[in-house]
Amino acid sequence: MAEFAFEPESDQVHLAPGETPREIEGKSPWQLAGRRLVRNRIAMASLGLFILIVVLCLLAPVYAHHIAHTDPFASNITGTTVVNGKRVEVIQQGGSGLGLGETPIGPTWQTNYLFGADNSGRDVMARTLYGGRNSLEIGVSSAVICCLIALVLGVIAGFFRGATDSILSRFMDLIWAFPVYLLAISLATVLLTKENGLQWGPIHISAASLWVTATIIALVYVPYVYRPVRGEVLSVREKEYVEASVSQGASNWRLMFSEILPNIITTVIVLLPLMIATTVLTESALSFLGIGVQPPQASWGTIIDDGQALLYTRPWVAILPGIFIVLTVLSLNVLGDGVRDALDPRAKVRARE
Amino acid sequence: MVKRTMVFSAAVLAVAVLVAGCGGSNKKSSSTTTAAAGGKGGTFISVANTAPSGSPDPQVNYTLQEWQLLILSHDGLVAFKRVGGAAGGAKVPDLAESIPKPTNGGKTYAFTLRSGIKFSNGQTLTGKDVKATFERLFKIKQSPNAGAWYSVIEGGDACVKSPTTCDLSKGVVVNGNTVTFHLSQPDPEFLDQLAVPFAFILPASTPDQLVNIPPPGTGPYKWVQYAPTKQIKLVRNPYFKEWSKDAQPAGNPDEIIQKFGLSVEAEVTAVENNSADWMFDPPPADRLNELGTTYKDRVHVNPLTAIYYFAFNVREKPFDNLKARQAVNFATDRNALVKIGGGPKLAVPTCQILPPTFPGYEPYCPYTANPGSGKWTAPDMAKAKQLIAASGTKGMAVKVNTDTTDTNKALGLYFVGLLNKLGYKATLQALAANIQYPYVQNSSNHVQFAYSSWYQDYPAASDFLDILLGCGSFHPNSNSSPNIAEFCNKGIQSKMDQAANTGITNPTAANKQWAQVDKEVTDQAPWVAMYNPKLIDFLSSRVKGYLFSPQWYFLIDQASVK
Amino acid sequence: MTAFIIRRLIGLVAVLFAISVLTFLIFFAIPGVDPSRQLAGRNPDPATIAAVKHQFGLDRPLPVRYVLMMKRLFISRDLVSYGNQALKVVPAIWAATPVTFSLVFGAAVIWIVFSILLGLLAVVFKGTFIDPLIMILALIGISMPVFWLGSVVNLITQSPNRSAIWSWVPPLGYVPFTQDPWQWFLHLILPWITLSILYIGFYARVLRSSLLDVQNEDYVRTARAKGLSPRGVLVRHMLRTSLITFVSLFGLDFGVLVGGGALLTEVVFALPGVGLLTFHSLQSLDLPVIMATVLYGAFFITIMNAIIDVVYARLDPRIRPA
Repeated sequence: MAEFAFEPESDQVHLAPGETPREIEGKSPWQLAGRRLVRNRIAMASLGLFILIVVLCLLAPVYAHHIAHTDPFASNITGTTVVNGKRVEVIQQGGSGLGLGETPIGPTWQTNYLFGADNSGRDVMARTLYGGRNSLEIGVSSAVICCLIALVLGVIAGFFRGATDSILSRFMDLIWAFPVYLLAISLATVLLTKENGLQWGPIHISAASLWVTATIIALVYVPYVYRPVRGEVLSVREKEYVEASVSQGASNWRLMFSEILPNIITTVIVLLPLMIATTVLTESALSFLGIGVQPPQASWGTIIDDGQALLYTRPWVAILPGIFIVLTVLSLNVLGDGVRDALDPRAKVRARE
Repeated sequence: MVKRTMVFSAAVLAVAVLVAGCGGSNKKSSSTTTAAAGGKGGTFISVANTAPSGSPDPQVNYTLQEWQLLILSHDGLVAFKRVGGAAGGAKVPDLAESIPKPTNGGKTYAFTLRSGIKFSNGQTLTGKDVKATFERLFKIKQSPNAGAWYSVIEGGDACVKSPTTCDLSKGVVVNGNTVTFHLSQPDPEFLDQLAVPFAFILPASTPDQLVNIPPPGTGPYKWVQYAPTKQIKLVRNPYFKEWSKDAQPAGNPDEIIQKFGLSVEAEVTAVENNSADWMFDPPPADRLNELGTTYKDRVHVNPLTAIYYFAFNVREKPFDNLKARQAVNFATDRNALVKIGGGPKLAVPTCQILPPTFPGYEPYCPYTANPGSGKWTAPDMAKAKQLIAASGTKGMAVKVNTDTTDTNKALGLYFVGLLNKLGYKATLQALAANIQYPYVQNSSNHVQFAYSSWYQDYPAASDFLDILLGCGSFHPNSNSSPNIAEFCNKGIQSKMDQAANTGITNPTAANKQWAQVDKEVTDQAPWVAMYNPKLIDFLSSRVKGYLFSPQWYFLIDQASVK
Repeated sequence: MTAFIIRRLIGLVAVLFAISVLTFLIFFAIPGVDPSRQLAGRNPDPATIAAVKHQFGLDRPLPVRYVLMMKRLFISRDLVSYGNQALKVVPAIWAATPVTFSLVFGAAVIWIVFSILLGLLAVVFKGTFIDPLIMILALIGISMPVFWLGSVVNLITQSPNRSAIWSWVPPLGYVPFTQDPWQWFLHLILPWITLSILYIGFYARVLRSSLLDVQNEDYVRTARAKGLSPRGVLVRHMLRTSLITFVSLFGLDFGVLVGGGALLTEVVFALPGVGLLTFHSLQSLDLPVIMATVLYGAFFITIMNAIIDVVYARLDPRIRPA
């Protein structure tokens, strides 16, 4: 996806639609932002939706254990379940004709196997909720890591300019042009084939670790966040009060922390929900291709992949996780819009600096 | 073991385009080709997801996908009878006039070539071509098969060492149309090895480098196109005259095509609406029901002499312990595995090494509730738990290794659950298919429990027992060590050698010995044998005369599309 | 300007070099990868593997192998796949390129037209319910994973149980334009729509934002004051300025897609483009093909990047030189 940068016009405070000057008198920028955000009903609704999804996924064990009474991780090929009072096999042989093939049970619309089973006889709904935990965990952590790294690098590049900036920016170009799939596949294979995962001093990464996927995705999107951050830093750096501080003899680090950082933090905050949306989508794509989350762990992408072989007979296996992804990403996008509007209603969209 | 290429290889082996050489010769009558209805002519269109992997060179390629076509374009001295059913496992003379009995203690085979057989480039076949073919096997720099298969020919070992100067004058003595093979030791499988595509005779003028399209051959068809991203095309060999209906019958279609690039789902759709005649790849699970009901008249299901299994590594904990291995075998519910494999119509549970109908096969299954009938009926969990307790291996960590295709992943998942139930700490390790195969063979990876499969090369018990479980098949620290279980039992090995020896003179007695070996190996439980698969052939509505040979599977050129 | 272009070209070569080295190193860091084993066929004996290794120069030091591979890829162009030795890599990529180009160009046309339309509509009808409706639709478009959307499309149009409305949909795959233009179109129309939905949403929002931005600029107010109709202002002045952003973003996305970023769409719709080739080669760890596709992709991305830099610098008077 292409990039866009936000450049709040930091010298002025603009009124949001429907605000009066009296309402905003005396409030700090953050209070203002918070207030605007809370009053934005659509943004609040989508925040609510996002929280709802997170809570549902966190409650996956409760659902699996108490409501569905299924184990979404254990192979359940020869299991049976009760539907409408009758005991049926979870995976059934093709009945008529040549009797070829075995098909998992379809949606029962009851508490057990609500959306049916996958080809190992596992409850799709329970698996989707468990998968959501991994998807969200990876999504949030990689977005945070990405923003942190991009923040640091962007500040350094924008502040010091010159050679540092050139090198960093070209390095970012390199990362942007590097195929994420190759990186993901090679890392996935390395980890799987090493007996006990990777060992770096005290850090132990096992093959089943989600951190690998999270880190890969984070690295891939650093250039995306880096550019607007760097652009912001460049523009803030030119401002008078910065020059004033320089003439007063302030040290570089001081400047970076006290003057530059607060001004660009809004950029990052606006980008954060959008980055989470992007990383969730990327993780699902990698997992769909088999190079993200590895079995026996599940994520929304892996379940959609599982559903490909059942697409025409048991479509819900592929459709259900996708619906969750759409709702999650949608709510994050709407929220991101709301955050941007709250921080500055006149924030502009710019392509590059 | 001809490994069927994975999911992608549903090559639609062009419906055996019987390219009966109807060009120049018209002596043969068209009615003798197949018993079934259907005439000559037309183009047989098959579809496959990808081209056969590896080099197209017939002396190198080891895929069923290409072998099914090579038998239509080339011949060996000996051939498997080109008929359907069990009779298709018998050997008949092909380019030779008759199959000689070995003399000189089983070390000498004297063949007389038929006269007047021409290659598709017009050259006449002579003994010179035979010698050149076998020397080329060693000379092509990448000859993976020469050493393993044909070094028994005198001079073969020297050729393996210095391929460029390979000279088989001692081993392959040519006198006009008489070709005499001298072996360094008797080999009961030599005739089988002459009947596979590696030993199909090529013109002496064929260059010593890998070719990108199979060279001219003596069969009813010749290769005219081999574009791995587009298609393969065979047309009639104008110089072909049928000399033996049993060995190399004339073909029905005029052209055989195999197109690549379609997804497996699209292949099924293509055959359903008759825009293709056959698909090489196995149909995906979600179309099976549809095929078995709506299209059941166009679907043929045949058992294969093949086996799907999980190998224990008998040199690594915890499965260096016999009781542990037997316990897992008792606990395995092969019905569940059959379900994963597509149901009882597509998979038959087994406990032993040899597949049914194989020489030396006698039904044997000790790992079932109520053993004795030779058939598996149900798991015996109680006995399994007992054995686990006695083995003292409870609680150990086990990595279950499999590949990432849907079916095999599900199989792996099943075993993870089973091992956990038995008290181990099992985890799944799923690798991409063509990484997984060499990975599990290499002992330095310390694999404990791994999925694999094996399809016959030819009908000989040693092709399963010795190649997969013989001491000589275990190469430590090598990516090529087909004995994945790292099994080597001196007593059993000497029985295998004895059976091989007996096979030179007395195949029937040898089969009894192989059956005994099968039982003893099964008792040692180096594997969890899962099931013998069946093959689905899905044809378009215009294909008539379907024949299934146990050696070559669907005989493409014997069907007709007119 | 010339100096700028030259600098960028040098940068391009540097990036390609760095990526090729990285790819090479990553590949050989993967354990269990043994090209000589792959090349040696199905069940070779260890002596054969050693022989193959030597024959293909695989026992030589890494830098030498790197140079050899680059030479065979660019100079003699006879680099051969590890998986199938009849497959020459460079022709395979050339054969796959038209597929990817067809997919991306078609989708691009659709997404440009519709996003401009929707963006304009949203601005023209700002204040009514149409504006937020379009924006929500756009957001939904952005939020759908393309492979999932493609699966749903396949489910509806390819399923054996599909309704008769979809009987015109051909089976998955690709037909070259030169072979049959109508079939080419039929095979691509659904992938085009699927791929473009994501971008329509995004670009409609971008355009709307830009237009709103520009609305209050001086020159717009001057134009209104001069008596120019709202529509005239919209088209003549606002759209032109807003398109600068639009174009630069478009260039970047287009570069990524053509460079293999349409992989997911190609996988789901079984289109034999560069993306699918990349994916298959990664799965089977076929280094020559991997190297070629990675460099192909990097080339397009980097060059589009550079072109956009130039275009943007010329078009946008407000831009501050980096």
